Amino acid sequence: MSQAIIQIENLSKRYKGSKDYSLHDVSLIINKGEKFGIFGPNGAGKTTLISIICKLFSQTSGKVHNFPIKGEALSIGFVPQDLALHEELTAYQNLEYFGALYKLTKKEVKLRLLSLLAMLGLSNVAHKKVKTFSGGMKRRLNLAIGIIHEPDIIFLDEPTVGVDIQSKNAIMTFLNELNQKGMTIIYTSHHMEEAEEFCTKIAILDYGKLIANDTLQNLYATHKVSGLMEIMILLTGKEYRDNV
Amino acid sequence: MYRLRISIKKELILLINDKVGLALMFGLPLLLVFIITIIQDSAFRIVNNNQISMLISNHDNGELGGKLSNMLSESGMFLVVENNTIDSLELKQRVAKNEALTGIYISADFSKMLTDLSNNISIQMLKDFGLGDKEIKEASFPSIMFVHDPVLQENYCQSIMGMIYAHMGSIESFRMIESIYAEMGQDTVPDYIKQNITKNHILIERTPASKNEKMVTPNATQHNVPAWTVFAMFFMVVSLGTNIVKERNSGSFLRIKTMPSSFSMILSSKQIVYIAVGILQVFLIFSMGVYVFPHINLPELYLPQNMTGMFIITLLSAVTAVSYSLMIGALAKTQEQANGIGAISIIILAALGGVWVPTFVMPEYMQIISKFSPLHWCIEGYYILFLKNGNWHDLFRIILILASFSLAFQLITYLKFKIDKII
Repeated sequence: MSQAIIQIENLSKRYKGSKDYSLHDVSLIINKGEKFGIFGPNGAGKTTLISIICKLFSQTSGKVHNFPIKGEALSIGFVPQDLALHEELTAYQNLEYFGALYKLTKKEVKLRLLSLLAMLGLSNVAHKKVKTFSGGMKRRLNLAIGIIHEPDIIFLDEPTVGVDIQSKNAIMTFLNELNQKGMTIIYTSHHMEEAEEFCTKIAILDYGKLIANDTLQNLYATHKVSGLMEIMILLTGKEYRDNV
Repeated sequence: MYRLRISIKKELILLINDKVGLALMFGLPLLLVFIITIIQDSAFRIVNNNQISMLISNHDNGELGGKLSNMLSESGMFLVVENNTIDSLELKQRVAKNEALTGIYISADFSKMLTDLSNNISIQMLKDFGLGDKEIKEASFPSIMFVHDPVLQENYCQSIMGMIYAHMGSIESFRMIESIYAEMGQDTVPDYIKQNITKNHILIERTPASKNEKMVTPNATQHNVPAWTVFAMFFMVVSLGTNIVKERNSGSFLRIKTMPSSFSMILSSKQIVYIAVGILQVFLIFSMGVYVFPHINLPELYLPQNMTGMFIITLLSAVTAVSYSLMIGALAKTQEQANGIGAISIIILAALGGVWVPTFVMPEYMQIISKFSPLHWCIEGYYILFLKNGNWHDLFRIILILASFSLAFQLITYLKFKIDKII
């Protein structure tokens, strides 16, 4: 039986000064070890949902339950869409800094950062300033920072946006390895093919409402389609969702 | 401790890589202190040591015009060139052509008018004492024309005119005594009267109002070094303000929110580094005043006796500058805003605070406004130590005010971060 590690109950969020809800009465459960994809058009409420679960924002109403694992509080990793890196620091210094902020010891930081740099193919540029890195290298480092403390669950907001195919492959392979080791992954992306390959469970949001929440196979069967993009178009329509 | 150490290390690396910020915090102020002190010191020397060029055209038919010319020449303040062939118009033109900074035109009837005036006064005096019955003739007031280069500032012009008045007064007094002697039937004025009448018998003892017997004579260095050091400290707003905006906009602050470390620890590491920068600025700029200035013919900076007081004022000034920079960083939305608002606000606060012109020469309403500039209180603190040799009682008020400014800036920073949901 699956072990729920996050349970969301009737979650709603309305930003100050806005008439509309960015999230409206969303309820879902995320189980341990899942690769959970959250999708939807621009402005659907994906980032708001992740931000509330990560406690970056507070909700207007509803509840988010984090269940402890083996008696210890759920440890969360966050990889934002923005490259939250220090460009003037080296990759090594960035990992050292954020590792220390995760309250790791000096020894733990050193051990883990060397291993992460090797796994993400950044060992040879470990002591180079991040500002000299390509987009793909920065994305890999951004990911490494989010998992240096080996969290139980990691939230990834568009982790492969704007990267080359090699970096994308390296990131997705690495995420699969982490998941195999037991890490739960919550993921948002606009790359439907990548999501189809990666996710074990999908939630689709539109106008802040949860309009689908199931495994990919069940969604295909329910909607009688064979691709995630088709499901998205079917459920959210073809009109543009430009945020003005 | 490891977290704080790594955070400080990160801030130091960011600071070292901020070349523009470093130039503004260290290069610019060193250069400014150097340039401003040289300029002010040379202005001081022009008035006190150097001679101001003066072209005199003396058309006086009597001897008093020549006497005035000699007195001005002998005063040592002027480099007098006499050319009695030119008229007042040409004198003006020559000064306009930079032949001299100043010029004096003495008209033909200068001696006659001054003598008539002096005679009238002496006749009136003797009449009052019942010693004469001569009639007072009608007399006009003598005048001379003072021409000056328009570039010459008002205070210099006033000083020069004051000196001319003093010499003319002396001539007039002498002429009056001569006239009294003549009326009394004495042909000549005795030599001891002649010598004493032109001498200044009163010694003005210049004493700055210092609280301590060991007085340091105020000079351009004592004024400029502390004032411009405070200006330099507050210019850290460009570096620290940008640092804050950059981290907030890159999402770094948001990421930190998901971490178990407190945001106050992050801000503390920034504050520790920049307070150290402020103290280092003081050390460098003051060292330049003490060790470098005397070697380049500038007045030496004399450090105050109360070194603990100086350290406290330095520390509080640095804390206030850091707090102000944090506030600007929190309020600014972009790096451009942080740079622009930060730099311009510091220039305005410096002007109000008395970095360029002492606040006591400002109009009363500006003096009130200046009290809202934190730079004013930092400078006041240093002046109490450097110029007035003030004690702890004098410093206490400054310490209290600077601490209040810091607290207010930190509070605004906290509230802005709270509104932005960073804290």
